[in-house]
Amino acid sequence: MTGVAIGLKIPDNTAFTAAVALRRLGIAVERVERSEIWFFEDQGSALIERVKADETIFNPNKHRVTLLDEAVPRSGEVWIEPLEARLPDPSTSSGEGRRPAATAWRLFGPNEATLDRESLAAAAERLLCNPAIERAVY
Amino acid sequence: MSARIAVPVFPGTNSEDETLRLLRDCGGNAELVHWSQADSLAQYDAYVLSGGFAYEDRIRAGAIAAHDRMMDTVIEAAGNGKLVFGICNGAQILLEAGLVPGTGSIRRPTAAFTRNAPAPHFVCRHVYLKLAIEPARCAITAALPEDAIVPAWAAHAEGRLAAAPEHLREIVAGGHLAFIYAHSTGAVDQAAVPNGSALGCAGLVNREGNVLAIMPHPERDAWNFNHLDRREGDDVLATSGGSALFRSFVQALAS
Repeated sequence: MTGVAIGLKIPDNTAFTAAVALRRLGIAVERVERSEIWFFEDQGSALIERVKADETIFNPNKHRVTLLDEAVPRSGEVWIEPLEARLPDPSTSSGEGRRPAATAWRLFGPNEATLDRESLAAAAERLLCNPAIERAVY
Repeated sequence: MSARIAVPVFPGTNSEDETLRLLRDCGGNAELVHWSQADSLAQYDAYVLSGGFAYEDRIRAGAIAAHDRMMDTVIEAAGNGKLVFGICNGAQILLEAGLVPGTGSIRRPTAAFTRNAPAPHFVCRHVYLKLAIEPARCAITAALPEDAIVPAWAAHAEGRLAAAPEHLREIVAGGHLAFIYAHSTGAVDQAAVPNGSALGCAGLVNREGNVLAIMPHPERDAWNFNHLDRREGDDVLATSGGSALFRSFVQALAS
């Protein structure tokens, strides 16, 4: 399985709102990047082509896709994963729910430095993760 | 002078007008309070958080609103015993704020109204809420009869109660399960539950009984023009409609 991060190349209002809220909660964040993490069987350029051809998750006018080197969060990033196993969606022909594996939040401080683990944990605990239904992965 | 009720309006709230109108039709002295008027919120005696998509449900439904300045006031007021009633998105905000079920800390939620199941889609369905606590357990329901049935509309994609097993046990043991989904007869089974909600939960109350959060909209089945089970004469309010819960709320403020 190979992971990709699909984020917006247009302004991300949700990420901007998260940044403002996190600052209000005392976390020194200058900028937030948000992306959705998906995993697929394909690899390399074939995977990128598959994602770009899947109009249900990728719109070339507003999204960019990044191939992940490893299936773990990048520096300064926390993944918020659902606690529950994906429920099958009976309305889709495949029976699979079309939901990303996680939402990735990448937090940057002054001079584009990524935030440390302690700050990420604080951001997850105070805002980004509801532990009743989600878990934070660093 | 009658108690003043605030209906806070966050960016994205969309059910404030019918909520306000029903409060007034039930005798309440209610006003909308815009997010730009947050400083005035503390003057009110009670709060009704209406439905919508506060802050576009960014991050999670209710997550950003739970940290809004207006919620600083609502949280403090709830701690001082003032009545707080949340409907739909208002209920999601109260869970994210940790006010209900109230088994954890403020703004550290122990439960969520989250994506429906098994189909994770928006549901718009007429439902019945059955009071699952002694009416006096919650000040807002105190004027309802035992086992009261309240008609309403479920209109949400994220209304399913979800929590860890230990927190679900706390909800039951602590008497936090205020309303469950039922049929009009009061019979309870899975067919009455529109969203896969744990415990068949439609509403939660905090330990002190002054904060109530329900997912369905009783204000959308309250007047005879929108009441499905119309049995009355020409009264504007349908007495067997969702207005019963609003009347009970207003009565609690008068007593």
